[in-house]
Amino acid sequence: MINLAYRDIAHSFGKFVTTAVGVGLLIGVVLIMIGVFRGMAHDAMIVPSDLNADIWVVQKETLGPFAESSRLHEDLKYSLRSLRGVKEVYPLTFQSVQIYPNKKPVRVYVMGYDASRSLTPYRLVEGRAIQSSQSEMIADSKSGLKLGDNVSLGRGKYTVVGMTHKTVSSGGDPMIYLDLDEAQELQFQFSNEQIRNDRYRGSNTAANQTVNAFVLRVHEGIDPKKLSDEIARWKHLQAYTNAEQEEILTKNLIERSAKQIGMFTVILLIVSAVIISLIIYTMTINKIKEIAILKLIGAPNTVIVKMIGQQSVLLGVIAFIAGNLFAHASADIFPKTIVLWYADAAKLFVVIVIVSMLASLTGIRSALKVDPSTAIGG
Amino acid sequence: MKNPVIVLEKIQKTYGSGESAVTAIKEANVEIYAGETVALLGPSGSGKTTLITMIGCITEPSAGVLKLSGEVVYDGTWRVNDTRKVRREQIGFIFQSHNLIPFLNVIENVTLVSQMNGVRKHEAIRKGKELLEYLGVGDKETKMPSQLSGGQSQRVAIARSLANNPSIILADEPTAALDGERALSVMELLRKLAHEQNVAVVVVTHDERMLPLFDRILRVEDGRVREEG
Repeated sequence: MINLAYRDIAHSFGKFVTTAVGVGLLIGVVLIMIGVFRGMAHDAMIVPSDLNADIWVVQKETLGPFAESSRLHEDLKYSLRSLRGVKEVYPLTFQSVQIYPNKKPVRVYVMGYDASRSLTPYRLVEGRAIQSSQSEMIADSKSGLKLGDNVSLGRGKYTVVGMTHKTVSSGGDPMIYLDLDEAQELQFQFSNEQIRNDRYRGSNTAANQTVNAFVLRVHEGIDPKKLSDEIARWKHLQAYTNAEQEEILTKNLIERSAKQIGMFTVILLIVSAVIISLIIYTMTINKIKEIAILKLIGAPNTVIVKMIGQQSVLLGVIAFIAGNLFAHASADIFPKTIVLWYADAAKLFVVIVIVSMLASLTGIRSALKVDPSTAIGG
Repeated sequence: MKNPVIVLEKIQKTYGSGESAVTAIKEANVEIYAGETVALLGPSGSGKTTLITMIGCITEPSAGVLKLSGEVVYDGTWRVNDTRKVRREQIGFIFQSHNLIPFLNVIENVTLVSQMNGVRKHEAIRKGKELLEYLGVGDKETKMPSQLSGGQSQRVAIARSLANNPSIILADEPTAALDGERALSVMELLRKLAHEQNVAVVVVTHDERMLPLFDRILRVEDGRVREEG
């Protein structure tokens, strides 16, 4: 049996494909929206993943150091190191800063860590690790900096000695790594004028020995949860296992964004359904004469319904393919990380097929109402 | 004695109801036999198209009896479950403007109905090619309707109407869009088909020049059908 849907599409192939590609752009945007959410979750995990911590110690009653600010005295590291089960303690600072490579402002996230220790909280793709107190930095390629660049940060100038790629903060800002002392100076040291003013007021501004968090690694066989509970019993500290910190990052930081993205995705899918429905309805109306002829020469309703239904599904499938190509082609251009999962695409495909089938109902309804006698009379 | 393939007994069609009711066909009694060419003549609005659409099981009559190939199709209500199946299996249609499906090529247009009737594709194509050759357009089977002349399109339409081996062909002004020579050619073809294929051919026409080609002439005036000559 002749497939009327394919023959009709082949007859006006260019128009059909152009229409499908147009709808595909909408579907591509849906995929990108989902990819943005996945990207946010992915970005949120980069720093914790690179740090490979067992326990995070932060200021009491805070969700720090990413969800809330947290300040601790650096010398707490000695007390923490003395705990049974603790293998290593690494003090860290975190700070958002604006830099001006190529005279354009770029927001970056600075992590300070003790470069003299064994911790390497990044994955180098170029260059070398920083040395202590040498005014050196590791920068991510997304910052716009290159190996050998000199950058002003706070009161100092730093040289880029190493590069990472796609290492970003939970907010999507490119990471910069400094030696701890230099990072503390950047974050906690006040200007000379302020120091003089604070002394005059009687307050102590020697805050250089402050950090935002400690990352602990424990010995094999030690339960991080039990140890973190023990630390949390201290009056002025909060402790989270790595899993708890990851939950803070994903749940607290990106939950609202996830809801917004979810809403946009649903709205875009509804718009896609309406557009496909209108397109199929218009295609059907443009074929009213042919449908009348088909009915007149005896075509059963199943033949007509199949023609319209197949065209609608094919429109959806081609739109999906076009959308996928668009999403993959443009994912790297977006400033935010976009992660495109095959599983998400597969689920969206099923949704698009269902939406296309439902969208064909308006066209089918019109077709079934056509009076075959309208084909007579020229 | 031959049995008629089309029987109309007091067939009536009324549109509307009450005071605004309009009777398009009033108690028509007609018998048409296989192999006959019958012209339906009459002015515009006389009810010719209504009559042909009732015979074609497209328009439901308001009263009377309609029999096709000896089977009662309508006697106050439709007696068949699927009127489209009746059309598909027993009736071929030819329109004023050929009305070929624009997105199907010639052979697909011709074989569509037989394939819908369950004939295997290669068998339908074989029969379709034979018909196209018979009608003089055998070399056009892969062309699209937009690539055909008016006369060629009408021949393809005739081939389509014959592809399902109908016992009846209903033609609604098949030569109206053709020049004199082509119109005559198409009418002669229909006459030849009626006689050779033993098909009842009923043609709605305004063209009185073609009347000598018909075996019978039915005149429709003010809803009444009467035979001439």
